[in-house]
Amino acid sequence: RYVRQLQRLQLLFSPTAGDARGARQFVEEAALDFARQHPDVVLYISPRFGAAPLLLAEYLNGTVREELIANKTSEEIVQLATKLAGQSGLDIIRIRKPFHTDNPSVQGQWHPLTNKPSALTVRGPRLQAQ
Amino acid sequence: VAKTSLTSPPWPEVKLPDPVEEAKYHAEVVQKVNKMIATGQYGRLFAVVHFASKQWKITGEDLIMMENVLEAECGDRIRMEKVVLLVGADDFTLIGRPLLGKDLVRVEATVIEKTESWPKINMRFWKRHNYQRKKIIVNPQTVLRINTIEIFPCLS
Repeated sequence: RYVRQLQRLQLLFSPTAGDARGARQFVEEAALDFARQHPDVVLYISPRFGAAPLLLAEYLNGTVREELIANKTSEEIVQLATKLAGQSGLDIIRIRKPFHTDNPSVQGQWHPLTNKPSALTVRGPRLQAQ
Repeated sequence: VAKTSLTSPPWPEVKLPDPVEEAKYHAEVVQKVNKMIATGQYGRLFAVVHFASKQWKITGEDLIMMENVLEAECGDRIRMEKVVLLVGADDFTLIGRPLLGKDLVRVEATVIEKTESWPKINMRFWKRHNYQRKKIIVNPQTVLRINTIEIFPCLS
């Protein structure tokens, strides 16, 4: 019952730039292996001239994350891609609690009156006199 | 000997019941609880699990985050060990000393996400000494979702 949160990975690079060498090597060697290992992620490769090489990741939330792959080796790009594939589209900000439950109390939440004897059985001076 | 304020301790004296009677009572209670588990009369179960050097209180479908890397891939099903102390439902709780048996409780979880934390800044600065170092720390995290907690009637 597990759904991968990564929808698409778009690889934009130019075939003549010097800093896209790692991206070209990744496309030649490791892109097929990556696509086979992650069958539920769509990998788009499109050439683009005149801009820095980018790796766009779109998630099911709709968030888009851009990562620069200029001057990176193909192994680093593979590691980046696997890391992005394991993430979900939530913002990477400080999370206050490392846990989240929908039903926090099972036996009833504790309030200061649990495990105390009720007022009816308590003896008081007024009750005895009457 | 005369009775002073220090002859008897200030707390009320408690008489323990007979050990034989107590054993019978214990056996009765255990049989009742076993029957209840076998017929399935419990609603929601919660458990206290020792995982990644921390103790978590867990119910059915909830999320837990660790600051480390597990060897399982995303989407793998994991069975928990070290189910510590309490497993409880609406009417009864099972307390372990300190761990419960593996054939009693079964906690299953799946790895949902393997991300990194937000970039934490580690900066050292001494004034008037021209000394400052800045380091950005990013920790890998894993997010687990607890699927089910099951108990089996094997008490004794």
